[in-house]
Amino acid sequence: MTAELADRVRDALRVVIDPELGENIVDLGFIYDIVVDAGAVRITMTATTPGCPATGFLREGAQAAASAVPGVVHADVTMTFEPAWTPDMIEPEVKGSLGFAAVN
Amino acid sequence: MMIGASISRWTMTYFAAALAWLFVALALMIAGVGYPAADIASADTLVLVHAVCIGWLSLAMCGALFQFVPVLVAKPLFSEKSALPALILLVVGLCALIAGFLSLGGRLPPALWLLPLGAVLLVAGFGLVVVDLGLTAWLRPTGPARFVLAGLASLVATAVFGSVFAFALGGWAGSFGDAVLASGVPLHAIAGLGGWLTLTAMGVSYRLLSMFMLAPDPDDRRTKVTLIAGALAVAVTVIGGALAIDLASGLNVVLSAAAVLGLLCAALYGRDVAAIFRTRKRRQLELNMRMATLSFASLGATAFLGVALVAAGAFSTHLGAFAFLAIFGWLSGLVLAKLYKIVAFLTWLETYGPVMGRAPTPRVQDLVAEGRATKWFAIYYLSVWAGALSLLAAEPFAFQITASAMTVGAVGVVSEIVRIRRLTDVESGLRLPAGAVAPCLLFARN
Repeated sequence: MTAELADRVRDALRVVIDPELGENIVDLGFIYDIVVDAGAVRITMTATTPGCPATGFLREGAQAAASAVPGVVHADVTMTFEPAWTPDMIEPEVKGSLGFAAVN
Repeated sequence: MMIGASISRWTMTYFAAALAWLFVALALMIAGVGYPAADIASADTLVLVHAVCIGWLSLAMCGALFQFVPVLVAKPLFSEKSALPALILLVVGLCALIAGFLSLGGRLPPALWLLPLGAVLLVAGFGLVVVDLGLTAWLRPTGPARFVLAGLASLVATAVFGSVFAFALGGWAGSFGDAVLASGVPLHAIAGLGGWLTLTAMGVSYRLLSMFMLAPDPDDRRTKVTLIAGALAVAVTVIGGALAIDLASGLNVVLSAAAVLGLLCAALYGRDVAAIFRTRKRRQLELNMRMATLSFASLGATAFLGVALVAAGAFSTHLGAFAFLAIFGWLSGLVLAKLYKIVAFLTWLETYGPVMGRAPTPRVQDLVAEGRATKWFAIYYLSVWAGALSLLAAEPFAFQITASAMTVGAVGVVSEIVRIRRLTDVESGLRLPAGAVAPCLLFARN
């Protein structure tokens, strides 16, 4: 049940995209962790640039998307830059479409 | 650390005012007002130069800095309240200054008091900008923020010289003012173009380039050397130049030392930018990056032209062509290319940021139509380079034609920017998801 809710939250987070890269934050590897405890969800995520105005919107977007999932009573999103995001974290099938070098 | 800077409310207003002044300047060039139709030191040329450097470039730079200094230092702006009063003071001050120059050249009835009035208003406006941005950048003076601080210090030096000139021309600065006015113009120009506009553009470009191409931030030790060369060039010019004027010893030694340091700074900047491009994770370059490379090429061409003119003993004859290439190839080209990106990015944030997670949203790239915009940038850059050649060939009429072509390119780029702001090119199904509000053209609803 807990794992299933975490999966549904992960799916719901796909509506949130990084505006620059144009892909959703799950496939980009921005979501570091999703912990479910009863109906409380704790998400740890990252972004490409700490001071960028988009970063705050990404966090709020993740929170809104997770909160809307049936069964979630409370969603808490923590933004971290440790470890720093790298393009290696992108899902391989998405990476090709972004025009990244294969290994960087 | 701050997570996510807020959207600067008046940045779009600064951009709109800056673009309006760009068109004023282009209209003057097409009409043959100022250099090359008039002498480079004439009142008409002063009108043109200040419309470009304060009206167009400085306003665009200030608007960008109100948004990006908080991003550079990951801290909120010291005060959100000074941006609009500063803009009003700057625009009114510039109008007074330009009216003063028109009066100086006999195009308006005698009213030279307009010059000191304009200077006071401009100092007040730039003062608000310097205090607000300076105190913000000072909170975390690392990397690009150091360039901004050096740029702001240069802006202060530029404004001090400019104010002395304005009071001297108004007849209120005594023999001291007259002495500074007689030989200080190169110092004012170098501090403004080389210090304020160029060092600041370099600092902001490091961050923008690495952010939008997903490259690691440039090596802090390397960019520090670039900054030291540039800041020394300005410091030698301002301090050495002021001493030389005081001692009546001529400016040749000071200007030669500044030129060598300036060249070194441009070369090191070229190396830093090349490293960012080389280490970028995002291989495909967006239009704004491709166009920025034309601006970097123009900076290289400006440096090369300067060296060639000095070697040929023709620098003072062709100073206008050199300054034109620096202003319109390097600085204006970069600003236009980055405006195209910044407006799209900020418009996206303002419109779609608040509804993220609640509805599907377009990408930033869905707001732009790069294929259509490319030709306007191409027309702009080609006509700038042709304009520089026509100045070198001393062909004022050809220059007016190239200025007309520059205007066609600039009008095209601005029409694309307006389309971005109005979300015209976003697919209709994605344009305004439930809860999203269309942005205002001239300011952000933050």
